[in-house]
Amino acid sequence: PSRASISVSAPARPAVSRLPRGALRLPRAASPLRGKASSAVRASAGPAGMPSVAHREVARAVAGEAEARLGDRLLPSAVPADVAEFRNGDGTALGSLDVRRGAPGSSIDFMLQSSLHCKVPNGAIDITSLFINLNASTDAPHFVMEFIQGSPTSMVVLLDLLPRKDLALHPEYIEKYYGNTEADKQRKIIEELPQARPYLSPSLFVRSAFSPTAVFFTIDCGQGGESVLEEIVHGHLASVVKGLLQIWLGTCAGDTSEVDEGEREIMVKRDRTVRSKSIEVDLTANLPRMFGPDVSGRVIAEIRKAFGVEEA
Amino acid sequence: PSRGALQLHDIWTSLVSPGHSSVESAMLRPATCVSVAAPSLPTISRLRCGTAPPLRGRRSSTTVRACMPLVQQEVTLPSTLAHREVAQALAAEAAAAVPLLPSAVPADVADFRNSAGTAVGTLDLRRGAPASSIDFMLHSSLHCKVPNGAIDITSVLIFLNALTDAPHFLMEFIQGSPTSMVVILDLLPRKDLALHPEYLHKYYEHTCLDKQREKIEELPQTRPYRSPSLFVRSACSPTAVSVTIDCGQGGEGTLEEIVCGHLASAVKEVLQIWLHSCARDTSEMEEAEREIMIKRDQAVRLKSIEVDLTANLPRMFGPDVSGHIIAEIRKAFGVQLQEA
Repeated sequence: PSRASISVSAPARPAVSRLPRGALRLPRAASPLRGKASSAVRASAGPAGMPSVAHREVARAVAGEAEARLGDRLLPSAVPADVAEFRNGDGTALGSLDVRRGAPGSSIDFMLQSSLHCKVPNGAIDITSLFINLNASTDAPHFVMEFIQGSPTSMVVLLDLLPRKDLALHPEYIEKYYGNTEADKQRKIIEELPQARPYLSPSLFVRSAFSPTAVFFTIDCGQGGESVLEEIVHGHLASVVKGLLQIWLGTCAGDTSEVDEGEREIMVKRDRTVRSKSIEVDLTANLPRMFGPDVSGRVIAEIRKAFGVEEA
Repeated sequence: PSRGALQLHDIWTSLVSPGHSSVESAMLRPATCVSVAAPSLPTISRLRCGTAPPLRGRRSSTTVRACMPLVQQEVTLPSTLAHREVAQALAAEAAAAVPLLPSAVPADVADFRNSAGTAVGTLDLRRGAPASSIDFMLHSSLHCKVPNGAIDITSVLIFLNALTDAPHFLMEFIQGSPTSMVVILDLLPRKDLALHPEYLHKYYEHTCLDKQREKIEELPQTRPYRSPSLFVRSACSPTAVSVTIDCGQGGEGTLEEIVCGHLASAVKEVLQIWLHSCARDTSEMEEAEREIMIKRDQAVRLKSIEVDLTANLPRMFGPDVSGHIIAEIRKAFGVQLQEA
């Protein structure tokens, strides 16, 4: 069943809170579709009204690839209908969320896809995320992808194999998952784009949680650069995302190495800290602002359930 | 990718074997560097960054050349290199502020050179006073002639011991040309930051360290420098300054201004933050945590510093000289390990 995109604020990632202040001020009354946004609305858009955006298509393709490869290691989606698709009161913000838990015995914890579209005075913000988290039976990195597009000509890209261990203490872990896999080659492809500049999260914690090969960039094509961005998204970006997913599927998703008991405790604690510090930073700041307390409460609860994080 | 860093990389690969990531090796290599104040070098009136405004249009290197003795073919340290001045001032300030034993480095390690006379180095290694939290301070500088000019690498590394979990201090300047250099400046974390957000807050957020990084990165001549070593990237903090400053052709004066201005000021600030928040503390720690921290320190030392030394020094200074230096460094590390 084609579930349209996805939710809102990437629980683990720098999302909307990283956009300039005021970017999220929603008009009280329903705003008419602005020129650029309306031209992007196509019949093939996802949930009613969510306009098609190049990055969302790429995300959907990647998620589809991941689902196909993981097959029955993922249970079917169990997200209630009013969280699978949600909107704010005046329809200026739309979101969708899909969570599929890992099947018993698999190393997958869950796969979370989310998409958000939010009209703002000068256009719209579109955020699309894909997280594939592994459970405590393996110490392999999680897969993390988030696109935050604040205008038709620029977007923030976050793509990483999120480490589960203290890298400075475990150089062999760096070698296994980052050195030998040539993940850094993928990062360089984006780095070398003239339109790309490094994105530094305002949150030091987020910066610390990521790997040394994390793809963390703003791609800014400047005025009039709409089609250039679209080309980059469908071209270089799509290829890098696919490349990293392949690396992850090959090296991480299937990893069956034993996790030492003492190490496991530390790893579980670390996973929990990363999730709660990121979810907290991302979601609680933005969802309520965009969707009001009721809707955002429901969505946050569902995301927290997936991540296994208790209410603060 | 920064042109400066690529250029530097090219220069290094002409010195070391192709299989080596030499810029990476250049990254954390305190011991290969040479201190400015080496008494055996010719005395030349030195321009001090801190005490005089940077000379515009006048090149310190021409002053040096005019005074260099013609007798020897050997290279001598252009002692008026601006970045070396900055490092010298920093090392002096640090040494005055933390309890250190006098330098115990033998004369032929304090100053060393290769037989061809194309590379000169000095090393100052001072151990922390007993019962202090300082493990050692290492200040080194290297000057090495290469086909297109020279490479100058200067480092100051202040390592803390197991009495505290506060971050180490690291500063490294790698200058491959008169118009461009790589700058690394960081407080190296001793703990897994993702597992210890309170540590992150105490030493990095609360101290507003990131502001210093911003000040450097605001300069239009800077671009990010990513170490080729994934380990080095992982060992650094989220507020690390890691940039190439590239002033382009004809930019010698600009680079010198930046070094004596923005850079010197940022470096001083970071040192102050470190002195205030890190250097004087001892920390309560659970035994298990301390063990992990010690292991971590060992990994950082082993993977970054020692690998650099054992790989590069011999190539530049020959087996005898470098063997001696490496032994001296290892002694400093080794003693601390036992004492901890």
